[in-house]
Amino acid sequence: VTGLPILSVMTWAPFIAALIVMAFARHRPMLVRWTSLLGATVSLLASLWVYWSYDRAAAGFQFKEQFDLVPSLGISYLFAIDGMSALMCLLTSIIIFAGVFASWTVKERSQEFYALLLLLVTGVYGVFVSLDLFVFFLFYEIAVLPMYLLIGIWGSSGEVRPQGIFGWAFGRTGVGTKEYAAMKLTLYLLFGSAFILVGILALYVAGGRSFSFLTLQSMQFDPTVQSWVFLAFYIGFGILAGIWPLHTWSPDGHASAPTAVSMLHAGVLMKLGAYGVVRLGMGLLPDATSEWAWLVGGIACINIVYGALSAMAQTDLKYVIAYSSVSHMGVVMLGAATLTVTGLNGSVFQMFAHGIMTGLFFALVGLVYEKAHSREIFKMGGFGVMMPGIATAFTIAGLSSLGLPATAGFVAEFLTFLGAWTSNYSWWLFPGVLGAFLTSIYVLRVAKQIFLGKKSDDPHFQHLPDAQGTEWAALGILVFVLVLFGVAPGLALKPVDTATVPLLQRIVPSVEASR
Amino acid sequence: MMNGQAGMPLAPELAVFALAVLVLLSGLIRPGRAIGWIAFAGLVAIFGLLMVTPEGQVLFGGAFVQDALALFAKRLFVGATALSLLGSLTIGHANFHRRSSEYHFAMLVSLLGMLVLASARELILLFVAFELMSIPLYVLTGFIKRDAVVPEAALKFFLVGTVSSAVIAYGMSFIYGATGGTALALIPQAVRDGHPTVLLGMGLLLAGLGFKIAAFPFHMWAPDSYEAASTPFVAWLSVAPKTAGFVAIIRIYLEGLGSTAEIWMPILATLAGMTIVTGNLMAIPQRNIKRLLAYSGVAHIGYMLIGVAVVSRAGIAMLLFYLLAYLFGNMGAFMVVETVARSEQSDSIDAYKGLAQRSPLLALAMLVFLLSLGGIPFVAGFWAKLYIFLAAAERGMYGLVFLGAVLTVVALYYYLLVARRMYIEAPVRREPVPTPGLLGVAIAVCAIGVVGIGVYPAPWVALAQRIAATLFS
Repeated sequence: VTGLPILSVMTWAPFIAALIVMAFARHRPMLVRWTSLLGATVSLLASLWVYWSYDRAAAGFQFKEQFDLVPSLGISYLFAIDGMSALMCLLTSIIIFAGVFASWTVKERSQEFYALLLLLVTGVYGVFVSLDLFVFFLFYEIAVLPMYLLIGIWGSSGEVRPQGIFGWAFGRTGVGTKEYAAMKLTLYLLFGSAFILVGILALYVAGGRSFSFLTLQSMQFDPTVQSWVFLAFYIGFGILAGIWPLHTWSPDGHASAPTAVSMLHAGVLMKLGAYGVVRLGMGLLPDATSEWAWLVGGIACINIVYGALSAMAQTDLKYVIAYSSVSHMGVVMLGAATLTVTGLNGSVFQMFAHGIMTGLFFALVGLVYEKAHSREIFKMGGFGVMMPGIATAFTIAGLSSLGLPATAGFVAEFLTFLGAWTSNYSWWLFPGVLGAFLTSIYVLRVAKQIFLGKKSDDPHFQHLPDAQGTEWAALGILVFVLVLFGVAPGLALKPVDTATVPLLQRIVPSVEASR
Repeated sequence: MMNGQAGMPLAPELAVFALAVLVLLSGLIRPGRAIGWIAFAGLVAIFGLLMVTPEGQVLFGGAFVQDALALFAKRLFVGATALSLLGSLTIGHANFHRRSSEYHFAMLVSLLGMLVLASARELILLFVAFELMSIPLYVLTGFIKRDAVVPEAALKFFLVGTVSSAVIAYGMSFIYGATGGTALALIPQAVRDGHPTVLLGMGLLLAGLGFKIAAFPFHMWAPDSYEAASTPFVAWLSVAPKTAGFVAIIRIYLEGLGSTAEIWMPILATLAGMTIVTGNLMAIPQRNIKRLLAYSGVAHIGYMLIGVAVVSRAGIAMLLFYLLAYLFGNMGAFMVVETVARSEQSDSIDAYKGLAQRSPLLALAMLVFLLSLGGIPFVAGFWAKLYIFLAAAERGMYGLVFLGAVLTVVALYYYLLVARRMYIEAPVRREPVPTPGLLGVAIAVCAIGVVGIGVYPAPWVALAQRIAATLFS
């Protein structure tokens, strides 16, 4: 324990930056950007420091900070992290750091944009480091709500309106517009948080009036309570994690959101849902976890295949990436449902790998859109000649997406599928592998059409610049991390292992202390 | 005859009465804007008086008690009235100024009714106080006759209100018949005995009170009268009489009953659930902000009814806390509505288009109020809902918790529709919305209340819990 409350620094730095931006940076766009970058940098350094100095031998929760907030209700400000949340914080830092660069060109009302973005990030950090369920929930809400404005104001609407019977059925809802997407996303996620709140309150009442994760973890809850609270958590967090059939907000939301918000939402916030299921669902309710593993895994398989098939059918580039997230989040949930150390490690690793990868994808799509002003795949073609840097980065992200060795995606999928094979439901392997195969189809199809195919005749697409200046920073960081963790997966797996093994031991007592 | 000797008995009530007379008389001498100021200054003084009024006086053989609940409610009433006057002081109508003394007299008399009601522990006094509170409300609803809608709404309110009064009186007669007395203290024993006439009487009484607080299925008058009446008055109407209704409900149905009161649980829980669902669903299609807030208010009444329905000390405490949070959130929202309506001449939610770019602070205040009403963290309404849910969860009523939590999302949908107009859509006109100074003060007070309670709810929760402990064991 050090004197510096490092986790609070990491969590609140973006918030303070947001306050400064709102208070002092009116009509000074460069000050807005540099202040935001400073906030993100402080968080990045803090999370790197925490990640490296986390004592892997001692394991457990470290860097603990605690003081009472509302003692009469057992609410306290309790921050601590273990190997899993340390990795998630690192992911958040990397994405927001790159995200600040990726939104450098936001012109309209940039002050509010950056302030909301930073507020959102504070919420995300807070969720990962809070061990008090109540404070956890507060941060969760902060992470969800700014999305409404971020998408509604700065988002973009799809170019193709629904036609035929869909136009008739959905025309009046404004489907495909950013306003529709923002509302849909917000309502879905708040609907989920209603489930989470009920679950948390039930544990609070059943667990002797405490919101502390550590106290609740030592409780043995009644099997019936466990069973329905687990379902409440699974549905509530699962909505954010994009589980089928509650995923439909995600393609709409991610496709309509501005670049940095898509990066953050698909890259980090969906992980927050999976993290919630693993941390609260599996961590607090061991009996219910084994009881419902078949459901979690089964739906994950649907996610993988259904998401991939949907991605294949899209003509809008952003929707392809958004559906690929649905598919990859299936891998995350599948790994968790295997109840094996290998699978759960793969799951956590996939959270990280997919976060970086999808962040990179959305950054690239944002760049392409900014330069070509189109998201329609079949209008574009042969961009690789004009923007070789973007094309290269897209290919690397794509290869990671389909699980090519030496990228982070490979490690994640390999571990997950290995876990699935050794689990009680070894058939889960097949939908998983099928998903990986389908992924290669839609990724390569997009890469071929946009970057490698015949050059488009459209006069708008004749002179497109490659990435420039700060845009390189976003791409460079993400590509570097993606390859680094693909080549040296131990960087992530060692600390994660210290968190997943004790977690699984509570569920499946036969899990060995070390693999 | 008196315990707790410090201070004159009935001082706040007498002061309000004196103030009302003063306002009426000065209207005879010199009508005009100054009367509003007199009323406001008097109310501030009375609020101060209430802060130092000691607890524990019992007058008239227990018919009038100055207990913790009464004082809490009285401070709420006087505070809400003062806030409402801040809003109405800026009304520019010549007509309004000419009749200013009538307006303020009616409001103060209604306030007097509420003050007495909060302390009444006897059926006759309760009924008289109820009427004293209600009759001026009908007058005030139709006070500014802009168009034909106004008298219609006032008449509707009047008819519904008098019918409810009749039902209350009818119910009380059964209770009197069964208990042989008019003291509320007689009720617990009669309920414990399971006297059917008492139960019938209390059932009728609940229907009458349901009218007053605008609970389903007696909520129809609310949207119409809100739409018709002047907004600063509506801000008050939406908060103070409903608080009074809840005080009466607590006094009649919970105080001193202990676990016997559990016989009300099924009916109150059903009422709460239906009210939440109706209010929230009916609010969705509204395109007039006042009607929208009226229906959302109905939904809030439903949430507060959960606090009654759980029949526990925590439930009462959380209901009181909810009332406080609702006061600031709702009055604040109506004050913003008044400000925008002055400038745009419209109560349509389309009048809020681009407000964030025209008047960022005003839009931010409205957003904060709406988020508080919607139950979002760090503003008062979140804690209110959370505590209500917690109280329900402790009693194992997870169905109600779940229903309430899901419909909170529905509520956020229509609140966000307003937020969307303010923040996302482009303004029709560019120039800022002028905010009259006093309205600005009222909005600022409400915003500070909402955010202050939201950031640091602990002392208010402790207060509410202390009051509840005196009422229910």
